[in-house]
Amino acid sequence: MLALRGIEKSYPLAGGTLPVLKGIDLNIDQGEMVAIMGSSGSGKSTLLNVLGLLDGFDEGSYTLGDVDMSGLSEKQGARYRSRFLGFVFQSFNLIAFKTALENVALPLFYQKVARRERQKRALEMLGKMGMEDRADHLPSELSGGQKQRVAIARALITSPRVILADEPTGALDSTTSQEVMQVLREVNASGITVIIVTHEADIAAQCDRTIRLHDGVIIEDGRSGEVVEPTARGANTPD
Amino acid sequence: MFNRETWIEIAHTVTANPLRTALTGLSVGLGIFILVVMQGLGFGLQNGVQQDFGDEAKNTVWVRTGRTTLPYRGRQPNRYVQMRNEDEQRITEQVVDAPAWSGRRMMWGSTVGYKNEQGNYPIVGVEPDFDELELLPLKGGRWLHADDLAKESKVCVVGENLLDELFKQDEAIGAFITLRGITFRVVGHFSKNGRWGNSMVYVPLTTMQRVFNGSDEVDQMVLSTGDLDLEGSTAMVDAVDGDLRMRHSVHPDDVRAVRVRDNQEEYAMFDRIFTGIRLFIWIIGGFTLLAGAIGVANIMAIVVKERTVEIGVRKALGATSGSILSLIVIEAIALTLISGALGLISGVATLNAVAPYAEHDYFANPEVNLRVTVTALAVLVVAGAISGLVPALRAVRIRPIEALRYE
Repeated sequence: MLALRGIEKSYPLAGGTLPVLKGIDLNIDQGEMVAIMGSSGSGKSTLLNVLGLLDGFDEGSYTLGDVDMSGLSEKQGARYRSRFLGFVFQSFNLIAFKTALENVALPLFYQKVARRERQKRALEMLGKMGMEDRADHLPSELSGGQKQRVAIARALITSPRVILADEPTGALDSTTSQEVMQVLREVNASGITVIIVTHEADIAAQCDRTIRLHDGVIIEDGRSGEVVEPTARGANTPD
Repeated sequence: MFNRETWIEIAHTVTANPLRTALTGLSVGLGIFILVVMQGLGFGLQNGVQQDFGDEAKNTVWVRTGRTTLPYRGRQPNRYVQMRNEDEQRITEQVVDAPAWSGRRMMWGSTVGYKNEQGNYPIVGVEPDFDELELLPLKGGRWLHADDLAKESKVCVVGENLLDELFKQDEAIGAFITLRGITFRVVGHFSKNGRWGNSMVYVPLTTMQRVFNGSDEVDQMVLSTGDLDLEGSTAMVDAVDGDLRMRHSVHPDDVRAVRVRDNQEEYAMFDRIFTGIRLFIWIIGGFTLLAGAIGVANIMAIVVKERTVEIGVRKALGATSGSILSLIVIEAIALTLISGALGLISGVATLNAVAPYAEHDYFANPEVNLRVTVTALAVLVVAGAISGLVPALRAVRIRPIEALRYE
């Protein structure tokens, strides 16, 4: 499903570059639920952004499905993001002046779906999240958990193959975090690949597989709760 | 790009910050409003003066005389310099080569009667060329002929005020009226602008001189300068002025005793003044528009900065840079266009509302040059588009992830 080969990524700095990802090799199969962990600055968010086509990479190759994502134009990147990927952010990133329904419907606008159809599908999606009665509410009128449900509904509205979640429970209390994780597990159960960046071990424990990064390299890759030699799953070995 | 969905999106963002939108719109609308009103007032002033000039052809020289103020060649001041027929004859035959001319003699407040109606009107004695020199638009009948002067006919041409006030429903042409008790036949009537123009009764100069005062006196003389340029008309003025001063022993520096006014020169002077006024209006208007454009640019820069995270989110959700750019630019254009149009409409409405109360000798019809104003609006819209485009370009160049992390 997702295949990274020798991905390298650096950020320019005054007087040089800062390498963030150092030759990442990674395969993620369809329907997997994967946690990416690591300390601050380990490169986990950068890896998620590369996977989500939000950020480019300097070296290596990235295949999504059967399509090579290297050298995509800005427009092509937008199209693949729109068709294959859904995003859930720590701070929800709902558009403040749009209602829950309008926020959920927004990705369909970029797919040029008709307005009536957008609203119908968005309402259905909110219903699946148990948020139908909050459809006309602005984000400011929703709790943290409700906002994240709306954000997940927005990520799912285009029927993506992969959900990329960056610290989805980072801004939530433990009870709400569990509710959100429950929703994500249900999403994954429907066959959608879910990739979660988190620094919380209990969140990672709820995923099928955990990848741990350190200083831009994968140092652990295995089923959650066990440590597996990275190379066994096609990941790189640490220096 | 210009579909309904885009406009709904724009409506969302514009109404999300009503105060900011209103203030931006105000800066643009006010710019256009000020430009329209100033332009209207400038035109009103110009129209008023031009209307005043409209009484007379621009290529004319008016000769008037008065009392002397300086002693000259043994003569004391306060002597009235009276022009006579011989002055006119000499000037037109020997001094200058004028294609048209007329002497003019005027009697203010003369009693004019028709049947049982009567009123006071100025009676003016003139010659056949006068209608061309004074620009009298004849509405019925005929003007005074050379034959009328030669025969000293008791005929007259009246202004339209007399039609309303004396003749009422009666046909004026061919009717007989009394001027200071003497019967004249009306041969024509005219209509023109100006405070006094339509109350005049024109009679042949020779008839007036014989019937009313039995003299050969002339109050004024009007000479056409024909196709002469300003230099030529100035030479004509100097020649006439010099001749009259010499003939009537008037000091060269006595500005009251002999006054020769060149309409062409005065018109050129007013033209220079109005060019200055127009330039002033454009400078003020231009700076006002510039202030409006800077206001829009400033607001759009803030708007785009505030929406950087939103731009990141939209990109993550599948928006292309083009769609985001067009959204912001169309928003800027719509904002400038709508508020500019409102400024234009309210400016025109204000001028229309004020115009009836602002009519004056030197102020009339404060019209708006719509072409110029719409051009100004277009310039402002382009400025608005650019002011939206510049920060929007900067924003869409940021990678989605940077935009999402933007604080």
